[in-house]
Amino acid sequence: MSTDRRTTAPVSSREVRSILTTAQPRTAGWVWGVVFGIVAALSTVALMATSAYLITRASEQPPILHLSMAVVGVRAFALGRAFFRYLERLAAHDAAFRQLETVRVDLLRRLIPLAPDGLGRTRRGSLLSSLVSDVDELQNLPLRVVQPLLTSVGVAAIAVWVVALLSPTAAAGLALALVAAFAVGILVARRVSASAERTLAPKRAALVDALLDYLGSLDVLIAYGAEETGRRKVEAADRALTRALTGRSLGTGIAAAALSLFSGIAVAWSLVAGIPALSTTGGGSLSGPGLAVIVLVPLAVFEVVASVPLAVSAWRQVRSSAERIARVAPENVPAEISVGEGTRSWKAEPAAPAIELRGVSTSWPGAVSPALTVSSLTVAHGERVLIEGASGAGKTTLAHVLVRFLDHTGTYRLSGQDVRELPVEQVRSVVGLCEQIPYLFDESVRQNLLFARETATDGELLNVLDRVGLGDWVAARGGLDSRVGERGALVSGGQAQRIALARALLRNFPVIVLDEPTANVEADLAGALLRDLLRASGDRTVLLISHGDVPAGLVDRAVRVVDGVIAPA
Amino acid sequence: MTVRPLDPRLLRYAVSARWFLLSGAALGVATTACILAFAWLLTVCITGAIDGRPLAELLPQVGLLVAVAGIRAALVYGQDLLAARGAARVKSELRLGVLDAVRRLGPGWLAGRSSARVATLLGRGMDALDDYFSKYLPQLILAVIVTPVVVVVILLQDWVSAIFIVVTLPLIPIFMILIGLATQVVQRRQWAVLGDLSSGFVDTLGGLATLKIFGRERRQIDRMRSITRDYRTQTMRVLRVSFLSSFALELAASLSVALVAVSVGLRLVDGSMALSAGLFVLLLAPEAFLPLRQVGANFHAAAEGVAAAEDAFDILDAVKTTQADAPVPAGERVATSGPLRLTDVSVDYGRGAVLAPISAEFAPGRLTVIAGPSGAGKSSLLGAVLGFAPHTGTVELGGMPVRSSTEERPWLAWTGQRPSLVLGSVADNVALGSDPVDAVRVRHALNLAAAPEISPDLSVGVAGAGLSGGQAQRVGIARAIYRTLDRRCPVLLLDEPSSALDHDTEARLLDGLRALADGGTAVVIVSHRAAVIGRADAVVRVEPMILAAAS
Repeated sequence: MSTDRRTTAPVSSREVRSILTTAQPRTAGWVWGVVFGIVAALSTVALMATSAYLITRASEQPPILHLSMAVVGVRAFALGRAFFRYLERLAAHDAAFRQLETVRVDLLRRLIPLAPDGLGRTRRGSLLSSLVSDVDELQNLPLRVVQPLLTSVGVAAIAVWVVALLSPTAAAGLALALVAAFAVGILVARRVSASAERTLAPKRAALVDALLDYLGSLDVLIAYGAEETGRRKVEAADRALTRALTGRSLGTGIAAAALSLFSGIAVAWSLVAGIPALSTTGGGSLSGPGLAVIVLVPLAVFEVVASVPLAVSAWRQVRSSAERIARVAPENVPAEISVGEGTRSWKAEPAAPAIELRGVSTSWPGAVSPALTVSSLTVAHGERVLIEGASGAGKTTLAHVLVRFLDHTGTYRLSGQDVRELPVEQVRSVVGLCEQIPYLFDESVRQNLLFARETATDGELLNVLDRVGLGDWVAARGGLDSRVGERGALVSGGQAQRIALARALLRNFPVIVLDEPTANVEADLAGALLRDLLRASGDRTVLLISHGDVPAGLVDRAVRVVDGVIAPA
Repeated sequence: MTVRPLDPRLLRYAVSARWFLLSGAALGVATTACILAFAWLLTVCITGAIDGRPLAELLPQVGLLVAVAGIRAALVYGQDLLAARGAARVKSELRLGVLDAVRRLGPGWLAGRSSARVATLLGRGMDALDDYFSKYLPQLILAVIVTPVVVVVILLQDWVSAIFIVVTLPLIPIFMILIGLATQVVQRRQWAVLGDLSSGFVDTLGGLATLKIFGRERRQIDRMRSITRDYRTQTMRVLRVSFLSSFALELAASLSVALVAVSVGLRLVDGSMALSAGLFVLLLAPEAFLPLRQVGANFHAAAEGVAAAEDAFDILDAVKTTQADAPVPAGERVATSGPLRLTDVSVDYGRGAVLAPISAEFAPGRLTVIAGPSGAGKSSLLGAVLGFAPHTGTVELGGMPVRSSTEERPWLAWTGQRPSLVLGSVADNVALGSDPVDAVRVRHALNLAAAPEISPDLSVGVAGAGLSGGQAQRVGIARAIYRTLDRRCPVLLLDEPSSALDHDTEARLLDGLRALADGGTAVVIVSHRAAVIGRADAVVRVEPMILAAAS
């Protein structure tokens, strides 16, 4: 059932681009954020320019009135820098959070047709948490990539223009220095670190694998005298990673060093360009204060554009997050996932069996061979059938075919109707599945039941809890408002199964599939749980999937799945 | 969140961190010299030009300026290089140190935590230290070196400006602390709401299959929209306060530069000050604030790294409170055969006994089942025999007491409830700890473990990936059988060996274990399955300490 290949396959750049497009806000609020950002950064440059002007002009000892504009300017820009920066951050974050709405809804829209079987499953089941953090990472696109880049470009352009008014030669030097700093900083640094980054990822993964291997099996390793060997494997992986990191460190400082160097060169060039142009000594029209301005402005401009290398590395992270999202949630739903929808309305034939499978075959996405073939399986109304077989034999696959999570070839009839002709919702209103690990939402018991039937009264909820054997438990925990904890952490495996069945009963599915209800239950409690579950199911049609003991008398008959095959009875 | 600027434990546990700080300080001193030289040269050039000196005369100074910029660039590069290498070394050092600590604390300690969490801490968790080393510590070093030197230089040039700066500088940490506290208050008020809202997103994605079963998936789109909208309003409420801290930082820094500029300007007008002094002070003033501003800006990145490091420090601290195993006295005789006898053995992890005292004897050639309800402490009892669980009472083999330590027990072959397979082939796992591998014996062990269909060449991924639960379980059993045969272990201990097996396979496994017992091994199985108890020569019952309410 491994679908690992899908997590390593290359993703189309079109999909990545479409995800990035969704992540970038285009609202008025966002534009204001950029404007405030540019004003704030300009204030930084202007503060330096006006201070330089004020001091050099003052040393010429003009009437104090001539300085008042500069004094006001210095104070205003000092206030403006902090003030506009605050406004910028508020506006930009607000816009980014507004965009999050679109990003999340878009992701949900992609995931709905895929869940659960179309989601590439990773070995450690960390898919969900990584998806969530990748979606959060997308917020950095507007905040840490686009915004600083626009601010830097905007401020650099304006500063070059202002300097050009005083000395075109100095302005040309400043522009060249900026371009050179980025060319060196970004291109060279990317060359060095991109290749290091590629070799780092597998080394990081190897270290995590070695750590999991060592720590997860420490008891076994000690008991078998193999602890030293396991430890040496971790040390080797650690050494390899540390060596690679040390190698990459050669590239990390290039961008910052280039900025520092070229800012010095720009300042020196401004001196060389400005001094001969001084009106006092040279033949030009530049005043003393003018010289101070064109020499000191580059310092401030380089301080502003120092955010560009950070933006470039943020961009790399955002892009790889977008790639991961595109890989997990592709826009095109794999063919193996049931998407075909009929429009025929539901009309059960009373004489037909509840479920009838003929020549059904189904595969997991990306798999080469079918996971399950059923030549013939018929379940009558009200019948209780045990589906047994070793783990991995294809029992869960059958459950997922029955609720149309997976598509199939061959015929699958529900009360005589071919499910392909029915809307998927219709099929799912007839066949209900209690999953192997029932998902409990981090809310109250009431909320975890209500979504199965929103109109249910508290009386009905308590009644159904009683039927699945949870009446006393809920009462002891403080009633329907007691919480089940994150992913049902406050609830045992058996209780979770009972809640899942209670939901199915509320929803009133005529057919219920119980997928290994005892898989996460202490073995000595399993028998009682199965008995309770089947008693509560009443006269519904039940398919019970299990690999272990089922007490006698609970089911009408058993069907065996062997290596993905259900042979004819 | 109270983060000390520098956790002393970092220096204690990571020797490379000391080295990093020392070289960082050397670079900081050189950086300070560059800052002063650059500002001074620039002042000389500008005032010189205004005084009428031609470019040719000033060219040496301009050249020096470029040279200083070059040195400064080299220092910046060196600082980053040092940070990246320092981070890599410290991470490696902490990682291996924690591994040592975990080994000394033993599997019993690890069982109380999640091994995956410790693995994450040592893997990705340590990466949080990167920002601490690259963004925070270097700036902290500069703040300690550059700021005081620059202030002193300004004082020598113009004491009025120095007073402005000295008065404003302390405002930065004071504002940061005050605003940090205010943020905390707001955050605490919003905490529950924010937690609910962010878990709503996780919950919807996680429960998508369940929602589809109940036909509720489409409604989630609107719910997601409203959850995210609430999330935004609540988060912005927190951010409005927490952004104030950077507002205060910027304001303090830029206002004091403005004050310096205006006061210098006014004194230049009345001729009470020279332009060179004024310009020099103006150029230096922002440098006094820059490192402090950077420290403030990277405070949160640092806090994250410190939090990750603190988890590692806690493990390193924990090992100090446990005493090491006493060294084996020379010439101590250790039994390698005979019956395993437990006398009044109980397990106590420090929170009261988890097991009623048990006395039992497991004789060679017999198949004994330890039975009892779940939670009665059957696995803890095995932990006591293995040396992983602290116990009272005595464990004896062949009449000789077994020392309580987490070292390997050469007379014992065991497999736990989780098979805990390692990366490699099935054969690597079956012959774990044995070199060279006896291929015939591997095959034989797999056959006895009711796994004749599993190829020894099959590869096993992390945590048994590639094998089904039942297959992994049998490979784990084959591993214990191989050791029994290879080392002639008198005792074979199996914890719930058939929990993932069907009846037929279970029966074949019991045949294999019976054959081993007939060969003279004491086979001990923890199980409550009727089929297993039915094949036992003797049954030891373990009763729970307290009669727990039925779940």
